[in-house]
Amino acid sequence: MKEKPDPVLPSQIKNKEKRSEMHAKLKREKKAQKRKLARERDQAAKLSADLGEQPPEKQVPRTIENTREPDETVCRPDDEELFAGNDADEFSAVLKQQIAPKVLITTCRFNSGRGPAFIEELMQVIPNSHYVKRGTYELKKIVEYANNRGFTSLVVVHTNRREPDALLIINLPDGPTAHFKLSKLVLRKDIKNHGNPTSHKPELVLNNFTTRLGHRIGRMIQSIFPQDPNFRGRRVVTFHNQRDYIFFRHHRYIFETKENKIASKDKKAKTSESKNQSEKQVICRLQECGPRFTLKLITLQHGTFDTKSGEYEWVHKPDMDTSRRRFFLSLSSNCRGITPHCSCLLLSMQELIIAGPMFFEVAIATSGAMTAAAAPGHRIPEVNASHYGFHPLSLLHYYHVSWVDDGIVCVLLIAAESSV
Amino acid sequence: MPRTSVVESPGCPPLRALTADILGLVKVVESRANPAGVARVVETWGTPDASRAVLAASLADRAVDPVLAVARNNGAVELLNTLNGNTLAAVKVAGQASADSAEDPLATLHLFRRHAPNMLGTFLTCTEKGKASVKSVAKENADSDLAVGPSSSWDVCNSGKMEYSSVDSGESHVMFGGKGIEVNLWDITSFSKTWSAKSPRGNSLQIFTSPWFTAGTFLCNDDHRKIVACTNNHQVRLYDTASQRRPVISVDFRESPIKAVAKDPNGHDVYIGTGRGDLASFDMRTGKLIGCFVGKCSGSIRSIVRHPELPLIASCGLDSYLRIWDTNTRQPLSAVYLKQHLTAVVIDSHFSTEELETKSVQTDRSVEAEAKVRKEKKNRTRKVNEEETGVVDPDDSTVEAKRKKSGEKKTKEQKRKVRTASCVGQRERWNQF
Repeated sequence: MKEKPDPVLPSQIKNKEKRSEMHAKLKREKKAQKRKLARERDQAAKLSADLGEQPPEKQVPRTIENTREPDETVCRPDDEELFAGNDADEFSAVLKQQIAPKVLITTCRFNSGRGPAFIEELMQVIPNSHYVKRGTYELKKIVEYANNRGFTSLVVVHTNRREPDALLIINLPDGPTAHFKLSKLVLRKDIKNHGNPTSHKPELVLNNFTTRLGHRIGRMIQSIFPQDPNFRGRRVVTFHNQRDYIFFRHHRYIFETKENKIASKDKKAKTSESKNQSEKQVICRLQECGPRFTLKLITLQHGTFDTKSGEYEWVHKPDMDTSRRRFFLSLSSNCRGITPHCSCLLLSMQELIIAGPMFFEVAIATSGAMTAAAAPGHRIPEVNASHYGFHPLSLLHYYHVSWVDDGIVCVLLIAAESSV
Repeated sequence: MPRTSVVESPGCPPLRALTADILGLVKVVESRANPAGVARVVETWGTPDASRAVLAASLADRAVDPVLAVARNNGAVELLNTLNGNTLAAVKVAGQASADSAEDPLATLHLFRRHAPNMLGTFLTCTEKGKASVKSVAKENADSDLAVGPSSSWDVCNSGKMEYSSVDSGESHVMFGGKGIEVNLWDITSFSKTWSAKSPRGNSLQIFTSPWFTAGTFLCNDDHRKIVACTNNHQVRLYDTASQRRPVISVDFRESPIKAVAKDPNGHDVYIGTGRGDLASFDMRTGKLIGCFVGKCSGSIRSIVRHPELPLIASCGLDSYLRIWDTNTRQPLSAVYLKQHLTAVVIDSHFSTEELETKSVQTDRSVEAEAKVRKEKKNRTRKVNEEETGVVDPDDSTVEAKRKKSGEKKTKEQKRKVRTASCVGQRERWNQF
């Protein structure tokens, strides 16, 4: 039997005119085919809706996000060992508010270009931070110096060719040390319509630090910032992790009630009627304060900075990069782990001791109302929730939750993913 | 271009390993015949408590009542039953108040395999400041601290920080080393120093590096004179105590400190693990690198242990994975995630899957009876092993049958046969010991 010859590919044709003609033809055919398939799907859906049958399954595109390699190190909220480990780790004293964080910021030996400006802005972001000139001291000496003066973290900004390119965060007194690559730095003055931050303690949003390593990095970042934010300042610092890149943003937000008219379909309706139809809506507006940069973890060292005899908890090695679907700090967003910081903003709540590393299991009912069941040990009665706004950066919806607990009205702003 | 084909992992042979971590938990990882090749956690002993973090662990790997000793952060040494995790005894090391343990924690621990019948076990500990002691724990009313049998202690060094100790297979000599402490060899029976190393000569610039030893082991099972010591300065050194005080061979390996070393029973290979998570094997006859164990190992390796019979090693460390590797192919066989930073791993070599079935049938059987069964099984398997080599490959017997039938494809089986035969020979040599 004679085999059918393969169709000639456009790339095999040497004449350019013919090639482009062929290519256009193929493209057109493909497009028509696609449209036809889409129409068929639509019709099938419509038909089943008319007949009251189960609609055919919607096709889900395969993306890197939903075909990630499974990771067994994801932190689960029911993992007791994780919490015991958290209690015992180096950050727990700061995170339990036994010690106030105090940060020393220094640089590499030659600091120029955008380095000083970046440090100035970083000092406005991190409360209780102090700049010390590096001079010609060794980093180990500076660690000693900071330890003697009761600092809890040391941040080193490294510049190369007058451009900040690395960030070293050392937790004191005994580690760990995280080394990040810093890129895409945009200073405040280069951001359009930027705001100037106030000196309030900022709120912190940490997104997607779900694996064990991510959890540790998240806790480390959390320990740089104070744990009791001033909510009046409406300042929020976001560390958003996506595919192992940590995006830093700094904003001011405001919730505004806005009266918006409902466009009435009937154009003949009187203006007074349409005024009656207007409804109040809460919107969240953001103003970026800067700086803006991206971090990527290179190493996490056990103990303080020591290149010669240091032990590493995690090192990025080239043989880990054999898959594009493998990430180390987070798992795909549709699989829930717990990020270290409860990304919720607490107001007037001494009762809710479960805050901090603990978690709200947020279940969103179909009606849009939300029930929040606290972590083991505390149960919140009678929760009222309303949608508050959408945080475009963190892709989170904010809910305004209130309830009465022992005669005290508690108000809570909870961030939740839009769909689980 | 990333590799797209997947190398088939042969899976883990039946195995039982125990790991200890910084929360003081001891976890038992087993790989059983069903499902084959998958290692997983079967038991967790203890409650998470950072003050009871395990600093070192040692297993007296016996067929009859094996005991696991763990040195904890609070200065206590606990003896555990390796079958059910019961604490047999908890001993505070002498001269150590609870306040003292914070500034002078235990650094090393070795539990001796030989023991008197009325004794639970004898162990050797050394603190970071170099206070070594040997203690025995009696069997009866072992719960109280008073039941400690004869003991003795001595100072290994005056300054420096002790990092490791290693006891030879005859259990008559012990070697110490650490930061600022040269390798020194002691006779356990007389508590006397028999040999100490000398720093290598300065380099061409006359730069002298102070000693900082991070791991060490005796190279051969039948010879306490050959010592492998690894330095923080990423060197693997071979000392021959019979010939000279300076190293015979010194090899550099990459650029991070070597944190763990284990010997191979063949008498010339060692496995080393570094602070960046590199695992490699060296042939110490020539000082040549045999090869690296590549995998997704990303954290410092704290402990390596070689299975006494099967050709595999287990490594663990700060990436909180227990990894099992084949020593012949240097491929990873299995990796188990254990949630905490791990400090020590030991392998219980007297583990067979048959015993598990009996265990599951008769769960209420007492420990003594079980131990007896273990012993019988051990003897039986040993006999079987000596007749036909079922050690390396559980399917070997069928392979052999096939080979008899066909009489072809000999070369590969023959090779394997030779390897297993040498394995058996080695075991016999150990038995003489």
